[in-house]
Amino acid sequence: MNLQKLAVLAIVGVVLAGTPARAHHSFAAEFDISKPVTLQGVVTKVEWVNPHVYIFLDVKEASGKVTPWSLSTLGPAGIRRAGVTRASFGQGQQVTVLAYHAKDGSNFGFMRRMTFADGHTVELWLGDDEAKK
Amino acid sequence: MKKVLIASLLAALPSMTAAQQTSVDFNGIWGAAPLPPATKPGQSIRWLLPLKGVDPDGTDVFKGLDRWQVNNRAAAPNKPEYKPELLAKVQELSEKQGVLDPAFYCKPQGVPRMGPPSQIVQTPGQVVFLYGASNLFRVIPTDGRPHRADADPSYMGDSIGRFEGNTLVVDVTTFNDDTWLGSDGYFHTEKMHVVERLTRSGDTLSYTATVEDPDVLAKPWTTTPRQLKLSTSQADALLEAPPCVEHDAPHIVTLDHH
Repeated sequence: MNLQKLAVLAIVGVVLAGTPARAHHSFAAEFDISKPVTLQGVVTKVEWVNPHVYIFLDVKEASGKVTPWSLSTLGPAGIRRAGVTRASFGQGQQVTVLAYHAKDGSNFGFMRRMTFADGHTVELWLGDDEAKK
Repeated sequence: MKKVLIASLLAALPSMTAAQQTSVDFNGIWGAAPLPPATKPGQSIRWLLPLKGVDPDGTDVFKGLDRWQVNNRAAAPNKPEYKPELLAKVQELSEKQGVLDPAFYCKPQGVPRMGPPSQIVQTPGQVVFLYGASNLFRVIPTDGRPHRADADPSYMGDSIGRFEGNTLVVDVTTFNDDTWLGSDGYFHTEKMHVVERLTRSGDTLSYTATVEDPDVLAKPWTTTPRQLKLSTSQADALLEAPPCVEHDAPHIVTLDHH
């Protein structure tokens, strides 16, 4: 990994002034923060839509069986303002994803971080680093 | 013949009332926020939706977001006032907002919840409001005609405009009841009547909407004024917004909401 790729771009406090708020579902109503899952697979589709961007992943298990997963992330307008575009999600690439599993147990999760084969990462998440315990 | 035509046109001009004419230019993109450059391929990105006091590695992240938004709205001083007998209904809708809010199903937020337009196009006799985030538009006659009698109730209603000095006043009727005024269960009926006021002062546009719905509101409610700056950058030109595609509803298993 070179330093440039390690350099992490932290943009905090982006104010979405001028972007009319879109109604968003509660993540707590859908995803279980106590159930992180790590998935390895190929990104088959990036759906750049409102109110949230969706990433579709084919996860190959040790047995060879392929299980399709879908992953929600934040809204397109907000993450575009963080510099993220559809191309940031590596369509067709082998990736490792940290996500939080859907409460209904389906192959669906809220993606926190995507790690690419070359080691660079895309993390779109919530919180305040100063509140880390 | 030509002379007669010109004479009749000139005669017609003074008949345009002050409310149909204005020297104020409302044209422009209002309230745009400059789009930062996209990151380079292969560049690492870490971005946190700011949630003050919430540890990103803790277990409070999702609930923290809900709490932050609910608390912010609860602290806001300007809320619509419902008739006492309807307060329980508003409360119930609010608690079930996560599944009942019509805006969660890709329906337009409607007037007035959708807020001010992101661009105004003004021509003689009409103004057009464009909403960049949702690919929606409104065509608003300003030539003195009355509301349409043939319009079906709709999300954004039937609009007619007039000018009062440097203010564009838009009168909106013929709403359906499939929108809320805000996230906290603020429902309304098809009798809702909205008057929007857009006032230009220099390069600032001020926007408010006053909502009347005597069947449910105890008194008319006026939204908190929003100030929008005129954009001068070509980079702020409106782009097609991503469509709204609903994937979440089948996965919602609790009444958590924000």
